[in-house]
Amino acid sequence: MAGNASHFKIRWGMAIDLDKCTGCGACVVSCQVENNNAPSMDGDDKLRTVNWLKVYRLENGKTFPDADVAYLPRPCMQCGNPSCVPVCPVVATDKNEEGGIVSQVYPRCIGCRYCMAACPYHSRVFNWFDPVWPKGMEKTLTPFTSTRPRGVVEKCHFCHHRWNMAKEKARKDGLDPMSLPEDAYIPACAEVCPTGALVFGDLNNHDHQVYKLAHSPYARRLLERLGGDPQVYYVSRREWVWKQLDNYLPGEDPAHGTKAKGGAHG
Amino acid sequence: MFLGLLFGLGFGWFVFPQLLYSEVTQPIPFNHKVHVEDAGMSCEDCHRFRDDGSYAGFPTTEDCAQCHAVATGGETPGEKAIDKFVTEYVDTGKEVVWQTYQYQPDNVYFTHSAHQHLECAQCHPDLGKSETTPVLYRNKITGYSKDTMKMWQCERCHAENGVSNACHVCHK
Amino acid sequence: MSLTRRGFLFVLGAGAGVTFSPVLWKLTDDVSIWTQNWSWIPRLQYGALAKKPGLSKAFGGGAPVQVLTVAGRPAEALGNPDHPLSQGGIPAVAAPEVQMLYKEARVKGPMKKVGDGKFEPIAWEDAEAMLAAKLKEAGAATAMITGDVNGTTAEVFSGLLKGLGSSDVYPMPCEQQTAAKGWQDVMGGRGTPGFDIENSDCILALGADLLESWGTPVRNAKAFGRTRPTGEKPGATWIACAPLKTRTVAVADIFVAVPPGGEATFALGLANMLIAAGASTGAADFDAFKSLAAGYTPAKVQDLIGVTPEALKKVAEALRAAKKPLVVPGSAISQGGSAVAFVAGMALNLLLGNVGKPGGVRALPELPTVVSGALSRDKLLDNDLVAWLSAVESGKKAAPKLLMVYEANPRYALPAAAKLGAALDKAGFVVSFSSFMDETAAKADLIMPNPLSLERYDDLQTPYGSGFASYTLGTPVTKPVANAKSSADVLLAAAQKVGVNLGFSSFEAVLEAKMAAVEGLSGFIAGETQPWQAIAQGSAPMGAAVADGLKKGKAWASIRTVEQNGIQTGAALLAKAGFKKPAADFPLLIAPLFQLNMGTPSMAMPEYNLPTLQESEAKGAAMYVGLNAATAKAVGVSQGDTVTVSSEAGSFKARVDIDESVMPGVVAAYLGFGHTAWDKFAKGRGDNVNKALAIAEEPGTGLSTWAAVAVKIAKG
Repeated sequence: MAGNASHFKIRWGMAIDLDKCTGCGACVVSCQVENNNAPSMDGDDKLRTVNWLKVYRLENGKTFPDADVAYLPRPCMQCGNPSCVPVCPVVATDKNEEGGIVSQVYPRCIGCRYCMAACPYHSRVFNWFDPVWPKGMEKTLTPFTSTRPRGVVEKCHFCHHRWNMAKEKARKDGLDPMSLPEDAYIPACAEVCPTGALVFGDLNNHDHQVYKLAHSPYARRLLERLGGDPQVYYVSRREWVWKQLDNYLPGEDPAHGTKAKGGAHG
Repeated sequence: MFLGLLFGLGFGWFVFPQLLYSEVTQPIPFNHKVHVEDAGMSCEDCHRFRDDGSYAGFPTTEDCAQCHAVATGGETPGEKAIDKFVTEYVDTGKEVVWQTYQYQPDNVYFTHSAHQHLECAQCHPDLGKSETTPVLYRNKITGYSKDTMKMWQCERCHAENGVSNACHVCHK
Repeated sequence: MSLTRRGFLFVLGAGAGVTFSPVLWKLTDDVSIWTQNWSWIPRLQYGALAKKPGLSKAFGGGAPVQVLTVAGRPAEALGNPDHPLSQGGIPAVAAPEVQMLYKEARVKGPMKKVGDGKFEPIAWEDAEAMLAAKLKEAGAATAMITGDVNGTTAEVFSGLLKGLGSSDVYPMPCEQQTAAKGWQDVMGGRGTPGFDIENSDCILALGADLLESWGTPVRNAKAFGRTRPTGEKPGATWIACAPLKTRTVAVADIFVAVPPGGEATFALGLANMLIAAGASTGAADFDAFKSLAAGYTPAKVQDLIGVTPEALKKVAEALRAAKKPLVVPGSAISQGGSAVAFVAGMALNLLLGNVGKPGGVRALPELPTVVSGALSRDKLLDNDLVAWLSAVESGKKAAPKLLMVYEANPRYALPAAAKLGAALDKAGFVVSFSSFMDETAAKADLIMPNPLSLERYDDLQTPYGSGFASYTLGTPVTKPVANAKSSADVLLAAAQKVGVNLGFSSFEAVLEAKMAAVEGLSGFIAGETQPWQAIAQGSAPMGAAVADGLKKGKAWASIRTVEQNGIQTGAALLAKAGFKKPAADFPLLIAPLFQLNMGTPSMAMPEYNLPTLQESEAKGAAMYVGLNAATAKAVGVSQGDTVTVSSEAGSFKARVDIDESVMPGVVAAYLGFGHTAWDKFAKGRGDNVNKALAIAEEPGTGLSTWAAVAVKIAKG
């Protein structure tokens, strides 16, 4: 089902303002709580943690006083042309043509981790251990995302259940579930962000803010030139930040942007 | 050999299914007919959509207690069922663990709201006029109900009706 | 038994029969489903979803939340969209608030100490009888420490202590104490200074980590976000001065590297430029201020704190060019700040002429007290815990016979931990009301656990920093999941037993009285109109059902300010300002950082926050301190080295992270690590920076500060 996502009616996407993100971590915590990630002693170990959203610290590599810092929240890029999907031997993941969110079905996953190897963003994580909640804490699980055992891969799905809930509400209210108001469906991370650095919406809807931001001259995508056609855009006015979002040859100017040709993948 | 064949077929077709399923009864015997015909209730009084568009499925103890808040002290099977409900659930504030004939596991997302154009009885047992609740046959290996719809059934209907079969349409 | 031909054929036939039945297919299918059942991990529980308002007190400024419930069971804390202090946002420490109900470190019920580190559960009535007996016995020698100055609980505590004849009720050190000292005592201001960040178009964070932990961080961040529509021209200029690129600086437009303790010098340098450009104020001591500022020439500022004249000019120009500039002075860790630096920052606000104006400094009224004999919040803030404990430690003051600790963890979170810990050791009998087995509870004689904020009645009065007065009610979202009892209720009952009449028998009744008192003031329920909009318009909505709104989790807000009469610049105090460069024995300055994802003085980092840690901050047992390469080279350490950072007060261990965003001569260190109690998630990670924060008595104000601590760093 991978392929060109541009003909999808809805393409959910995110624009993240890197000049607004302070790296406070509220999004990371809310994501885990919303999606039933168990707390773990390995939570701070970037190789073992199973949280879906990570905040990276970017440094411009200069010395004081020219050193600069930025924070980059990294959900799943929900690529239009995902490299993780075609490699799955058991079709436990797909690119959903309704909304363009890349899925993961836990019971179907055999834990081979090809998708993790294929993803250039480290968006997918593997359960090296069974989740264990401190006694009683399992009573705080949400009904939104099923629990995952050792041996399966999981990933950010833009709080897909929130879309489902928004659609149910729309049907109840007699509205069109495929034409929701802009704020009817927002993932937990974007909802709780104190500075409003995460903007969520339909990249195909010209009225949505995210559409405008994706077309901003300040918008770039992570490793855009790999051709994955990510649905997450990063907005920054800082050129050194742009440079870190992709690989450039010496002397190459990221300011001119590089619209991906893309489409080479399955 | 023929005897053996008969034995094998008999086991496979008749004995095995009985061995495979355990019989589960509802925690409280429930008489739909009395509620619908005598009390004049409609299906939606209990099996309704909430304001947020989600489906309530079974009524809560609080819902039932609107009528059955005190024990009847009666001797008929119906009154005994009511009294069992009142003493074991209303008085203790517990929820009745009604058994779902169409049980689906946590990883399945099913929304009634998108399936409203279908008749309830296309998927569920038609209990509106029944006086008892049927026995639920629970698969001893899987823990699913005998009536649990399989993935291919969901997918076929979706495909026939041009509805997406992408993972997240039905999985969470 | 031998197999006959007939028998063999029977088995063969049976095999064929089974093959032509569904047995094998069904078994294969069922077994494959069975492999996906994962019976050993928890199932989800379903039910009607609802949102209930709640008030998290996970950090001092309070976090109004909405709690998602599933069939009445709390599952997730989210922001409260209507509330002006949340606007849908939530700080990282409050995001796992619901999960903390079941934190391993929770104290499950009342306990008494039966040996070193050993406790025995006791019944509530026994615990309460013991508390009453101790209160009677100690009488006027009772003391109390509270970590919550914004709750009406503090009135219950100060009322009770007054009834016992004691005035020893102390708040944990907080930003507000520095502000009260500077604004009221030094500058002659009235009310509590508030900062109308929302309406300002140029904000200078003078030391304060404005967007992370200072005052009302979520409100500040929301204001920041609103002035910066993504992809468009920013509507406000944000300037931050700090010794390194803090989280606030990471998104600020202008960064000025100012060493810890150099804020007053920087502010006076700015005053020099502003006055030269014609700025003035009607303050009676303006002439003295003017001549003082005249001495802070750009060259002198550069000499003292290393800020270049160009950088100074850039900031001064930005402030001058702005229509509504605002200076927000504050300590990087929201405690132990210098009153001199605060006054210097506020003097800039006087020069900028923003006092009482939209987008400026707004002096906020205090809400009335309702408990008889209770201290007002300002009076409570006058009590300096660190000074008192220092006096107890040195024997200048008698140790309390009974010490009660509420929502505070002084064993961990106070500066000069060794010295002040020794003072705490002297207390006769220690009662901890902590919900968690924190360092203080672990050494207490009696633990009487308070329910968590989502399980109890509580309230939040105008948190410091807010530009408007507000009141928020906290109603329980769930019954306590531990055998906990509201400390305010426990103490109200105890007061009756020892013959102190506070006028109330339950804390709920206290809150009803508070709400009634608030209803009598001019204000409105925020929601459709937010307080900063009302401030900008100059008029607030009238007549709303206040109690009803409060019970629905909305905020009461007021745009009233306190009339000022003769504010001064504090020139006499500022004359004592002077940046002291560290001496050779302790050549570096420590820049402590207070980041809410790493916990607060009263709350250890929740386990759900572990993934928020950067590898440059902490990993496993290691915690890092940040130095730039030049500093590291000068002191002979390099990336990854294990080092000891020590001051006059004590030392802590860490590993070195070369962070070029840290200014020369400074070592950056995170508060929140090095817990020795709590649970496996918090224990054994890094070391406690508080141990090395040496206390100084500020000349001129007598305030205990630990804003500019000199340290040395050595390998090993």
